[in-house]
Amino acid sequence: MARIAQALLKRLGGMAIVLALVVTVVFIIVRVTPGDPAAVMLGSDATPADIAQLREKMGLDAPLLLQYGQFVLGIVQGDLGQSIFLNQPVTTALAARAEPTFFLTLFSILIAVAIALPVGILSAVKRGTIFDQIVVTLTMVAASVPSFWLGLILIQVFAVGQGWFPASGYGGPETPFLERLHHLVLPAVALGVVNSALITRFTRAAMLDVLGDDYVRTARAKGAGEGRVILKHALKNAMIPIITVIGLSIAMLVAGAVVTETVFGLPGVGNLVVSAVLRRDYPVIQGALLVVAAIYVLINFIVDMLYILVDPRVRL
Amino acid sequence: MKKSALVLMTLAALAGTSSLAMAQASDGVLTVATIGEPPTLDVMQTATDIVLTIDQHIFETLYTYDAQWKSVPLLAAGQPTISEDGLTYRIPLREGVKFHDGSDFDAKDVTASLKRWMAVNSKGKQVAAIVESLTEDGDHAVVFKLKSRYAPLLATLSQASVILPSEKVADTLTEFVGTGPYALKERKPDQYTQLVRFDGYKSPEGEPSNYAGKREAIAKEIRFVPVPDANTRVEGLISGQFDYADSLPVSAFERVEKSGNAKPVIFRDAGWASMNMNMKEGVLAKKELRQAVQAALNPNDMMMAAFSDERFFSVDASIFPEGSFWHTEEGVARYGDGNPEEAAKLLEAGGYDGTPIRLLTSRQYEFHYKIGEVAKAYLEAAGFKVDLQVVDWATLTTRRADSKAWDIFITHSNFPGDPTTINTITDSYPGWYVSEQKAKAVATYMDATTDDAKKAAWDGIQTVIYDDAPLYKVGNFNAVSGVANGVSGYEPTYWPHFWNVAPKK
Repeated sequence: MARIAQALLKRLGGMAIVLALVVTVVFIIVRVTPGDPAAVMLGSDATPADIAQLREKMGLDAPLLLQYGQFVLGIVQGDLGQSIFLNQPVTTALAARAEPTFFLTLFSILIAVAIALPVGILSAVKRGTIFDQIVVTLTMVAASVPSFWLGLILIQVFAVGQGWFPASGYGGPETPFLERLHHLVLPAVALGVVNSALITRFTRAAMLDVLGDDYVRTARAKGAGEGRVILKHALKNAMIPIITVIGLSIAMLVAGAVVTETVFGLPGVGNLVVSAVLRRDYPVIQGALLVVAAIYVLINFIVDMLYILVDPRVRL
Repeated sequence: MKKSALVLMTLAALAGTSSLAMAQASDGVLTVATIGEPPTLDVMQTATDIVLTIDQHIFETLYTYDAQWKSVPLLAAGQPTISEDGLTYRIPLREGVKFHDGSDFDAKDVTASLKRWMAVNSKGKQVAAIVESLTEDGDHAVVFKLKSRYAPLLATLSQASVILPSEKVADTLTEFVGTGPYALKERKPDQYTQLVRFDGYKSPEGEPSNYAGKREAIAKEIRFVPVPDANTRVEGLISGQFDYADSLPVSAFERVEKSGNAKPVIFRDAGWASMNMNMKEGVLAKKELRQAVQAALNPNDMMMAAFSDERFFSVDASIFPEGSFWHTEEGVARYGDGNPEEAAKLLEAGGYDGTPIRLLTSRQYEFHYKIGEVAKAYLEAAGFKVDLQVVDWATLTTRRADSKAWDIFITHSNFPGDPTTINTITDSYPGWYVSEQKAKAVATYMDATTDDAKKAAWDGIQTVIYDDAPLYKVGNFNAVSGVANGVSGYEPTYWPHFWNVAPKK
């Protein structure tokens, strides 16, 4: 038990180091990127003197080390700073955008897993058949399709053509929760289908690895039904790579839904990051990327924990 | 008896008019897809197109632009009384106007608001430099005293110089209360800005003309929804989700037209594209070399590459388009088919040493990039070496502030109400157009008090601009937007407005 606690502490320490690196790297990248929030805010009419005046007002003319120190101190106190453009704390801006991103990620991964697990397993079981070849080809195509392109096609067919779903946005004022979720169907399908390709391929490969193992042959020899052999004996042992890829997909969806959110006009975290980058809203870029990195690290941590549940032989 | 009957008839007629007006009010909502989220609603601080588009429904200025882009009264009760020396402007104010918070509009609000505008707004700061004092003259008039004559005063009071209740004026605005036909109800950044009809609105009189004339808030509500992806704006319009979609790609014109659900709208001469040159440092600090750039370029090819169809642009050497009060051919030179021989002679006269021209452009505005690509080909054909630098808009705006970092940048502007408010004419605007002959021409303009005198002075300024070559005017472009079928009363303007517009039934 003490060893597990020690290992957990070690892992948490590693996570803290990763996040500290992220904070520093993001701060440096944001500051060395050309572009100035004051110039963006003031528009084309602004003279260099106007821009300099606003920079001073916003504290952007302070030495970089001082700005970095203030940023780190803020993080330690749970304060990610104040958005330059939104006139609200970064944490508030992120919280306001968490709902669409959370549900978009959830639906996308559910769709991806719902497609990938049965198809991947069947494809492995029916290895070499026409079904398997079709699956291999389709997953290659799906993995190559950009989600924003698929999104535009879905909009044309199901929003414009059929009128079943809205083309864009997350509903207006007083839109009920279920109707807001209705706005997420098309983007979730676009992301889910594309992500299902990778998970299907991993599932198929992992299942192929274990289906030829001795214990599977033994289970069959003992007269276990095919369903039991596949789901209980083979799938359980194939779960580690599958969990890994699902975990990675979730982490990538949190950060990688940027383009899809832009195409569908969803006010999520990805959209916030894009707007912040275009406006050079430094605190929002820094805060959002830190939160995304923290989620990424956390998901990896959870995946590691799941390894132990699935296979007790795995050590931390 | 006769008198009372007349009164009754008059009252009946007024009641009839009123009920007719009320009948037009609708419970409908107008959903407007915009190109993105406004960075703020503080238009004094950030007078960009998206902010001006939304804010004009909430706030009003003393004057506004009519169809000829002349300044006509909005919150002012009439044109100003100008003293003989042209240094004192007394502006009468309308009475009975109310703010969205129920307070009365008066002279105190005007002085408080305009003092903030003169402190934070780029154009306002220019005005501040020539204003000796701004004072109230009773509750319903204000008086500007100027240090020197300033012809563009009314034009600058027609845009971004919005009036707020004096008690809401602050360094950082937190409450957005105006006198406009719509009041701000809620803003959820990146989701929507919700405006609702202001029932206490008092409209100016007169036939609607551009932004001037009668304003009626017909729709109960307007929702501005940011939709940064142009294709999504098109699809959302066609699918019926949006009632109006702004800035559509010209390639979508036919698709919208054939959809049967919406119609495309062309707003002619929405703006003009230009290549601004660095007169302070670098290769183009020499006038002959800037003139060589003028001679080398072919505006038609650049605009065709940028807008792909003649329906969406026009090539016109006059800085202001045909139909504008300021349109003139005076002074036009080196503008046409691209003349590499003449450009080569000017290159030689300017002693060009082969240093590459750093041409800054951005793909954030795709037409800027396409103009840059064609310009590069023409400049190289004339003998220039060109370093085309494609960056995002935020980078470009930073880089252009450094006179050592560039030689040409591509930009676009609308046609302002007053020609001297064109950014390039300002000494401090990137490009740093400082010249003796420009200063003289602008001074002549500032002294002008009649329209004819101003027009003659503007002819002189355009002549000087073509000679000094601080910029190369590429051409005029039209804007394409889309309106859903069933929406009525929409009249295209540079900053689209939705008063007098009835939503779908």
